[in-house]
Amino acid sequence: MPQNAAIVGGGTTEWGARDATWKDLAQEAGKATFDDVDGIEPDDVEGLFVGAVQPERFAFQSHVAPLTAELLGINANKMIARTELACASGQAALRYAWLAIAAGQLDVALVLGVEKMNLGQEYMPEMQSNMTNVLDREFDGVNGLNGPSHFAQFAQRHMHEHGTTREQLAMVSAKNKNHAAETDFAQYRKKVDVDDVLDSYPIAPPLNLLDCSGITDGATGLLLVSEEKADEIGAETAAYITGSGQSCMAGNSINNLPSMTTWPQAREASQEAYEQAGIDDPLRDIDVAEVHDCFSISEIIEYEQLGFCEPGEGGQFVEDGRSQLDGDVAVNPRGGLLGCGHPLGATGVSQALEVYRQFAGAVPSARAVAGDPETGLIHNLSGSGSVHSVMTLARDPQ
Amino acid sequence: MSDHPSNDDHVLPDGGEVPRETISIPSEVELPRLLDFYELQDAEHTQIHEFYENLRDGRFTTTECRECGELHFPPRIVCPECTSDDLEYVDLPHEGEMYSFTEVRGTSAIGMNEDTPFVAGVVDLGQIRLSARVDDASYEDLEIGSEVRLKIVEIDGPTDQDRVFYRFTPV
Repeated sequence: MPQNAAIVGGGTTEWGARDATWKDLAQEAGKATFDDVDGIEPDDVEGLFVGAVQPERFAFQSHVAPLTAELLGINANKMIARTELACASGQAALRYAWLAIAAGQLDVALVLGVEKMNLGQEYMPEMQSNMTNVLDREFDGVNGLNGPSHFAQFAQRHMHEHGTTREQLAMVSAKNKNHAAETDFAQYRKKVDVDDVLDSYPIAPPLNLLDCSGITDGATGLLLVSEEKADEIGAETAAYITGSGQSCMAGNSINNLPSMTTWPQAREASQEAYEQAGIDDPLRDIDVAEVHDCFSISEIIEYEQLGFCEPGEGGQFVEDGRSQLDGDVAVNPRGGLLGCGHPLGATGVSQALEVYRQFAGAVPSARAVAGDPETGLIHNLSGSGSVHSVMTLARDPQ
Repeated sequence: MSDHPSNDDHVLPDGGEVPRETISIPSEVELPRLLDFYELQDAEHTQIHEFYENLRDGRFTTTECRECGELHFPPRIVCPECTSDDLEYVDLPHEGEMYSFTEVRGTSAIGMNEDTPFVAGVVDLGQIRLSARVDDASYEDLEIGSEVRLKIVEIDGPTDQDRVFYRFTPV
């Protein structure tokens, strides 16, 4: 019987364009995490898992997990790893930590996601080169396809095949950015309405600037511990991992994407997680969902693939208010990637911490999920959309 | 109280000054060849050099597996369907239709930022779909289904190799 594992707290840096190095960010998030959790000190940590995508390019630093151990005074005497799975690296770090605890290899893990990305406008071509390299550099990157220009084509095809409207895309951005206005570490804290999104610069048509997440510096940490350890420290709130699924097609390059309107791997990964968690009807059984809204279109496709609505109906789902805080499932109460920004390695960690904080009632009332949430989900895609990672969480152990 | 020198005290305990010297690093670093997006295309650097040689000769080709018949794109040296390495180069159509597209108007990658705005998309060639740039067109000029044809660009860049790549242009 595998051990249960639970998040018992965590902390974050401020996210945005930070006057801070990679190492500064790691230290800030580490301190915030240990400050948040009573009963666990750096000396107690047995496993350290660092989600980081491109420190080699943005900070000219590799072997970052041991460097982090040094910075935070951690002797990771059971397991240490850096995870790189592009935009899903944070969730990958959490998943490895969960597997190690479930397997009984360790009881206390620090999961830290760190990304230094925003080098200023002068170096934006360097940043865009790095994002482009996430696809097949030789046959996709060479065509100038990066985040906005890749996901713009999903939006175009979804509008073409399903009649999804420009306004429905804007509704996703407005919803999430308005949540982020209440999130104290978010990169974008200005309230916007649908017209603001529609009027923003068409940076990669049909996507506008406000349909896109940011270029973000940030780090977030959390402590994942065995159920026994959670009891030992008397954790008041815990977010237990109840299921975890991941699926990757035999394809990463755009040249081998069979569809630009569906993500079958998101369906597979979520079904796997639901099965482990005993979830029959995600819309009924999940109170809060932190999904990967790297672009507004992404969240619409995710409603469909995570089983919240039928394929093609994602636009209507947001238009009908079903993903609002008081809707059928509260989607991205933190503000999502659209509002909080997207420091690649930190995003999944921050999503999981948000679910914990919603369980703990530790968020401002303006973005608190209605009705005392007890179950949650985090979802990340990575690369061209060929890989999806889904994790379910619950306030009580299974 | 402390024996440590204060912050503005640059005098060593023996009375001498801390030695200092200005060192120089290059004021500019040349763009390394590795940072441009085009591979070195000859037989000394890549095992898919035949793809590039064919393209240089005006033929758009890719690999097909002699064992299982699978057609690949990009070209491979091992078939991802059956792991055979018995592959041959076959011709691809030079004309296709736009499956999806956008226009890159924000900042783009090193070496192509100067090209913005430019159209990039997915071209449907029937047997395969591939990502590509579309020259001589703006976003407003195209629709899903617009017909495009192959164009070869010769890379005038920081190596003395005759490098080429494919793009498309409206019919």
